[in-house]
Order: sequence, then C-alpha cells, then structure tokens
Amino acid sequence: MSYIKGLFHGVGSLATGMKVTLKEFFTPKVTEQYPENRATLKMFDRYCGELTMPHDADGKNRCIACGLCQAACPNGTIHIETEMVTDPETGKPKKRLVRYEYDLGSCMFCHLCVNACPHDAIRFSTAFEHAVFTRGKLVKQLNKR
Amino acid sequence: MFDFSVITSWIHALLTSWMPEGLAVFIECVLVGVCLLLMYAVIAIVMIFMERKVCAAFQCRLGPMRVGPWGTVQVLCDVIKMLTKEIITIRHSDRFLYNLAPYIVILASVLAFACLPVSRGLEVLDFNVGVFFLMAASSIGVVGILLAGWSSNNKYSLIGAMRSGAQMISYELSIGLSILTIVVLTDTMQFSEIVERQADGWFLFKGHLPALIAFVIYLIAGNAEVNRGPFDLPEAESELTAGYHTEYSGMHFGLFYVAEFVNLFIVSGVAATIFLGGWMPLHISGWEGFNTVMDYIPGFVWFFAKAFFVVWLLMWIKWTFPRLRVDQILTLEWKYLVPIGLVNLLLMVIVVVFKLHF
Amino acid sequence: MNNDWMKKIPEWEPAAEWSEAGDGRFTVPAERFRFLAERLKKEGGFDFLRSLTGMDWGEEGFGAVYHLENTSTGENIVVRAVTADREHPLLPTVSDLWRGAEFNEREAFDYFGIRFVNHPDMRRLFLRDDWVGYPLRKDYDPSLNPLRMSNEVAKDSTASYDLMPDGSIIRHRNVIFDEGEYVINIGPQHPATHGVLRFRVSLEGEIIRKLDVHCGYIHRGIEKMCEELTYPQTLALTDRLDYLGASQNRHALCMCIEKGLGVEVPERVQYIRTIMDELQRIDSHLLFFSCLCMDMGALTAFFYGFRDREKVLDILEQTTGGRLIQTYNTIGGVQADIHPDFVRKVKELIAYLRPTLREYHEVFTGNVIAQERLKGTGVLTREDAISFGATGGTGRAAGWACDVRKRHPYAMYGKVDFDEVLFTEGDCFARYMVRMREIEQSMRIIEQLIDNIPEGPYQVKMKPVIRIPEGSYYAAVEGSRGEFGVYIESRGDKFPYRMKFRSTGLPLVSCMETISRGAKIADLIAIGGTVDYVVPDIDR
Repeated sequence: MSYIKGLFHGVGSLATGMKVTLKEFFTPKVTEQYPENRATLKMFDRYCGELTMPHDADGKNRCIACGLCQAACPNGTIHIETEMVTDPETGKPKKRLVRYEYDLGSCMFCHLCVNACPHDAIRFSTAFEHAVFTRGKLVKQLNKR
Repeated sequence: MFDFSVITSWIHALLTSWMPEGLAVFIECVLVGVCLLLMYAVIAIVMIFMERKVCAAFQCRLGPMRVGPWGTVQVLCDVIKMLTKEIITIRHSDRFLYNLAPYIVILASVLAFACLPVSRGLEVLDFNVGVFFLMAASSIGVVGILLAGWSSNNKYSLIGAMRSGAQMISYELSIGLSILTIVVLTDTMQFSEIVERQADGWFLFKGHLPALIAFVIYLIAGNAEVNRGPFDLPEAESELTAGYHTEYSGMHFGLFYVAEFVNLFIVSGVAATIFLGGWMPLHISGWEGFNTVMDYIPGFVWFFAKAFFVVWLLMWIKWTFPRLRVDQILTLEWKYLVPIGLVNLLLMVIVVVFKLHF
Repeated sequence: MNNDWMKKIPEWEPAAEWSEAGDGRFTVPAERFRFLAERLKKEGGFDFLRSLTGMDWGEEGFGAVYHLENTSTGENIVVRAVTADREHPLLPTVSDLWRGAEFNEREAFDYFGIRFVNHPDMRRLFLRDDWVGYPLRKDYDPSLNPLRMSNEVAKDSTASYDLMPDGSIIRHRNVIFDEGEYVINIGPQHPATHGVLRFRVSLEGEIIRKLDVHCGYIHRGIEKMCEELTYPQTLALTDRLDYLGASQNRHALCMCIEKGLGVEVPERVQYIRTIMDELQRIDSHLLFFSCLCMDMGALTAFFYGFRDREKVLDILEQTTGGRLIQTYNTIGGVQADIHPDFVRKVKELIAYLRPTLREYHEVFTGNVIAQERLKGTGVLTREDAISFGATGGTGRAAGWACDVRKRHPYAMYGKVDFDEVLFTEGDCFARYMVRMREIEQSMRIIEQLIDNIPEGPYQVKMKPVIRIPEGSYYAAVEGSRGEFGVYIESRGDKFPYRMKFRSTGLPLVSCMETISRGAKIADLIAIGGTVDYVVPDIDR
C-alpha cells in the first residue's frame, strides 16, 4: 500500500516540478544582450568602475598633490609625482602635481583614497569596460597635465 | 499518402537497366548509406541546436543568439571547431581501445538509426524481427562506453563507465518489456507493419491504459538508455566532471556527443513509431474532411513532428529534475519499472485476449 | 566574563593569571594548560571552541588564544596558553576535547611552528610542505620562500608527536592512505567543490571510506597582510574572505574595531547594517539554493536562483556601488547613505521573493528525487556540530541553537522579532531547509526595520589615525554560513599586532570527513553543497 502511495506521491511531485518549468518556458526571458544593448545599458551612479580625476572646462583639476590618497591606499595603487614651485601670488614654495598614476589592475575599490581626499579631486566613475590586452595599459595617468 | 517506394524502385530500375544487378545493388547500398549518414549528421545538428534553445527557454535564457539569426549557425561553427580540434592521446591509456570506443558507440547508434521508418517506402532496415534488431543494435553502445571508461586511465572515467554499464543493462529490460507490450497488441515485430496497423488509430489510444503505462515506462527507460535527464550519472558533471568521456577531445569527443543526441532522437523516433503511429497522419473517425486534410501532409513530416515532440518532452524532463543516485537508479528500475512493466504486459495480454482494445 | 569563573579558574589552576586589557583573559603556562582545558570541558561545560588563535608574543614566546563558550549557559571565557621556548614551541593538543581544534591547531603549526603534542595529524594546513619557516612569526624572513615552480606531491602519511616524561619528543608516522587504496581527487579543479578546495577520497566502489581535506589553494595570507595595514586599510580585505558574506564580514571587523575604540555607532547605521546583512544573507542563501540544485543536476533551478539573486545584487549595488565586493561598512558608520530608491526596491524585492520561494519549493524541495537524495544522507549529530564548531545553517540543522544574532545580539538583532530556524535531523535536507526558511526570516527582519530607519548621521567622525588601546578584542557576527569572528590583539599602534578571522568555513570543512564517511560519491557532492562552505573564507 505504501509502495503505491509513494509511487503516486512521487509522480505527483515530479508533475508539480514540470508544471513550474513549463510555466517558465513561456515567460519572457531575462537574458541581457550585451553588447547589443550598450546604448541603453547604464550602471548605477554609485558603481565603482575606475578612479578618475574630474577636470573643469579649463582642463584644471582640484588636486593639491598632498599625497593623502597615496598614503591611504592599502596596496600602492596610486603613485604621485610632485615638484616644488613658487606660487606667483604669494611667493611661497608650493607642491604641484606632475603625474598622478593609478593602476586599475591592482585597485581594490576600497574607497579609502576618495575618503581621504580633502578637495574631492578624485572620484569613481561608472565606466566598466576595462578589458585590455596588456597589463601595462591598466596603469593610467589621471591628471591631464 | 505518398509512397516513396515509387522513387526507390524507379532508381533501382534505372540502375539495373544499364548495369548488372549485383553492381546496382551495391551502388544502391552505398547511396543509402551516404544518405543515412547525411541525415544522421543533420539530425545531430538540429538536435543540438534544439537542445540549446529548449533548455535556454526553460531556464529563462535566450540561448545562442550571436552567430546567424537567432544563433542558427552556432552549431555549424561548433561542428567545424570540433572537426579541427586536436585529438589528444593520453599517456598510459590503452591506445587501441581508447581510439576504438567512440566508433563502437557511433556504430551502434547508426545501426539503430537505420531501423527508423521515416515515411512509407523509406525504411532502410525493415524485416520481420526489426524490433529485436533495433534493441540488439542499440545495446552495443554500452560496450563502447565501458571501453572508453576503462581505456582512458582515469578514475572518474572508470566510475562513470561502471555506472553506465549497470544502468544501461538494467534499463534495457524495461525498454524491452514496454516494446513487448505493444508487440503483443500488434502481433508483429516489423516496423513497417507496426506503423501500418496504426492507420485506424495510434496504439497509444488503441491500447488505452496498458499502452499508456508502457509509453511512460518507455520514456523513462529510454531516457536512462541515452544517459540523459535525471539519469545522466555516467557523465554527471558535478560528480565525475564528464564521466566516461572526460579524457576525449576533438572529434572523438564529438562522436560521443553526436551519438548521445542522435540516440535521443532514436528513442523518440521509436516512441513515435510504436506509440504515436509513426508516419501515419492523425485520423479521427467520422471527421472525413479533417482526415483528408491530414492525409495531404507528407508522412515524413508527421514522423519528424512526432519524434521531435517526444524529444521536447524528454528535454522538458531533463531540464526539470535533479539527478538520481546510482542506487536509486537501480531501485527505480528493479523495484518499480520492471514489476510494473511485467504487470502491464499481463494486462495487455488480457486486453488483447478479451478484445478490449479499440 | 562571569565572576564565578574569575574565582573558579585560579582555584583549578593556581598558575592562571588574569589580565584585564581589552576583553580580559586568563594566561596559563603551556605545560599546565591541558589539565585546565580538560576541566573546563568536562566540569565547566565549555563544549564549544569558538576560536583558536596561534600567537607570537615576541619575548614572551609562542602560544594560542582559546575562546570557549558553554552552549547551555551561554558563558564565555578566554584562555591563552604560552610557551616561552622559541626554538621548539610545544603546546598540548585539545583536538580530542574539541574536534574543531584539529584544523585550527594545524593552522597554528603552519603559521607559527607550534607543535601540538599528541595531535594525530601534524601537517601544514595551508602552505606547501616545502615551505621554509613559519610566516606569521615576527622574525620571519620572506626571502626564504621564492616562488616555487615544482609540483607539490601529496603525501600519504602524516606525523604526530609524543612528549616523553624526560622532555624528549617522539615522532610517529601515521598512514593516511595505504598503497592499495583507490584514492581519487575531488578538486582542486572540480565543478562541485565551489572553489579550489581539494578532497582526497578513498573509495570502495562508490562508497567513501576516508576523506582527506587539502586547503590552501587560494591562501593569500590575509592575516599576515593585516599586520602591516592600518585599521581602515584592513577593512578592504574582509570582503574578500567569504565573498557571499562581504557585508557581514566587514560588519564584524568594524564592530571589533569600534569595540576596541569604544565608539558608539548611531542608530541609523545600526539599522542600515542590519538590513544590509540580511540582504546579504538572502543573496547567499539564494546562491546556496542555486548551487545545490546545480550540484544535484537540476540545472534549471540553478538559473531561477541566480535570476532572483541578481535582483538582490542590484539593490546592493545601487547603494554600495559594488555587487560582490561592496566596501560599505566603515569604522563608525557606512560608506554612503542609503540610496533614495533603496526602501522602495527592498519592499519590491520582498514582495517578489515570497511567491518565487514557493516556486523553488515546487520545483526542487518537493521533488521526490531531491528528497530521496537529501534525506538521511550526511547526518551530523548535535554533539559533533558543537565539537567541530560547525555553526550556521549546518549547526542549526543538527539542533544546535548557534545563531550569534540570538546568542550575542548585536546591531538591531536584539530588538527585532525573528525565529531561529532549528531542525533536529542534521541531514542534508535539514541543512537545506534551514537556509530556505532563513530567507523567510531575513525578509521578516527587513520588513520590521525598513520603514523605521531613523534619521541621523551615517558616519561618526573618526580621528585621522586610528589606534586601538592595548588589549585583545573579539567580536562576532552571524555570517551567511555561521559565526564569523574577528580577533584583534593590539599593542596600541595604528597597525594590529595580530588580526585573526574566525573562518566560518574551516569548521564546516573539518567535519566533512566525519559526515561523509560511508556515503557515496554523489552524497559527498550533496553534503558539500548543503554544508555550504566558501573556499576563500577557509583559506584566508
């Protein structure tokens, strides 16, 4: 008796499962057709794609070359080269940014550099297409000049 | 209904008119063989494409979309890739058996494939013990799988092969019993005859309850025979990576792969032939107009439609259920399918003896 | 710590010294530790070894810190055993008292070269056998270990050490696998090990006779790295432990640092952290469901789970900016306030997930094949679960109420109403059901919190350089798959002196041998799937 009962119960449970999959067979699919949908694909605005240094219309950035981001970085992703110049207005010596190097290949996106920056000179962009052929191309210079 | 024997006998007459009979028959054999292999390949490609699309649809995906419209050329590209890939030889493997195994599998599959009556007059192997021949031929495949597992010098492969041996030999029994049930109903073992007798109604309907039970048992056992669906233990990828064909590459793997899909088609084709009337159109007695319309649809369309419907059914099963364990597979066979099959056979005998069928 | 124990332990062991700094702990010399451990286990009822941390105290010598808990009374105690011998440090093993110590002592041996007397299997746990020196010792020289290109051959035997009364040590050779055994490798590259974990399995037909776990294929030395990072910098690494519990792991570390600093976190932050933890738990359990289905061969259910997990990840991504690696919790707050859409989306998710869970149950849970395969296989008893320290869903399936959210409520968990899902069977099906029910409980917790998030700051102003006062601190959260603890020993610097993560996965893996013995290979896959370990969390 339990044999037959078990048999019918088993067949019943299998049929329930098949009902579910049949329903899914006819529901719209969820596949995202990347790259065909590149034009419409938009990441969330907080998405961390890569570190960028925004420049204003004159091509100036807000970096003061204080080096806090470099110090905050856990794994040496940021490398800053500076030079000393005299400020034409005050005449005092001042640090100036020469080269802001950022290695996307080793960045952990921990936000410490962005948090450390006193002038909001750097922030994360939502770019996500980072594939390159050589690792060297991932080392980027963020400042324009 | 169009009879293809008109064409075949015309070719025969044409050939014999300008060459000796023996040579003509030989050429015909070669022709038939080439056609068969061509159809085999085409069906394999269609099946693989269908599997990808159907499985994707069940899984709320789209499946291949890139190559060709709706990804239709994808499989063709894969075939070319497979053909050009290197065949790797494994160190410490039994080289001869290792290379032989895929051919045994494909041989069994082609032999069984030749038995399918595609349309009236399009039967390649058709003789009075066709059912026996089909079962005998298709069970050669297990030898190939066992050899593949044994010769590749891989522990996963060996376990997969052993599972496969236990499974396929057991399920052969259920397949036999369910087909036998229909043989009892038809009292013939010739496929063309089996189809002819379904002109006035498919056996699934004619034999009502016992035929229905036999059909279900056949589907389950057939699924197990081709190592698919919930019975894919010999190649259970989450347990044995790929089972018996772990070490195969290139076209050697391709042969296993193709054989698996065509075997699925053969199982479905046989199901369509003996339960769903083969190339016989759907007739409903009394609806004369309907029946004539149905008759205009050629037989091979009917056959393929039915076979692919059964294929879809089996895919639906495969893409729904989790895999069984090896002891559960044997429990299912020996404690459920075989006893039910035997009782069902008895039931069919009673039905036939007392003329309870339609 | 309970006052009774403050009196009782010095009575039991006069050599025990109490020190107040941080959480407070007893110090026992190595040679006296074994007696105390036995009494604590047998008379004190401390049956759960929460964490075992190997230590190098420099001048003071080597040793280990034991965090113990009495599962019936909930009492906690911290004991450390110290040996001054820097040449041949020896500690008595406690692996026979708490089986969870077996792997942890191997880890301590691996990192510090402390040999545990009478431990049955004194091999390295994570590093290669040909590794020179012991990396977490303070005087370790990294140049001794260049990148090796040679293959590491797995040994079939192991060593154990006996201490003779005269102080000499005898080394025994213990055989793991005999010549004639049919040993098969499951992993490190295997579809069902969920990462690079390796089991060596001795088979008899399809039946498993022995199982030997090899860890370390994704070992990154995170604990060592933490010793050279400032506290805010260490946060970046926790997300990379259990990648399905990124939020909870980071929560634990933040909690531990905040505990050391004595920082009160605003209530808004507590709400956000709790909701995030529960979303993360749903995410993890959905992945668990998917992967279990895939391991069992139901590939379609796998896709359903992943489809729905995507919705959770979208919510997480919108607020935190990351999907797997979220870097959201910070010391004293969270990285950013919740996104304006957050509340609405979470509500939508819950409304969507309820009927979907029913669908899961229809397609997989109720399925006769799944039930046959999961029920009665891989049984872990309650005693074993406690002894191994197998917390999380695995422990609760065995009937052990081990939820940190109930045992040591943190964040908002003390104030919300939810059930601790308990089963008694301890088999694969119970482990599976615990997680499926926990998704429902998580949704319940979120529903209670989501509408009442109080206004307030999302970040406390912290000093630019964070220094934790001298002492040792332990904080734990209920991760997606068990208790995730952080142990920090500070000497008042801006770097931790030692930072140890109580892995949730290591105890789960250590009990694999016990529960899969006598099962079939297919069961091993089901057991591995339901035990639900995550490899980067084991290897750290």
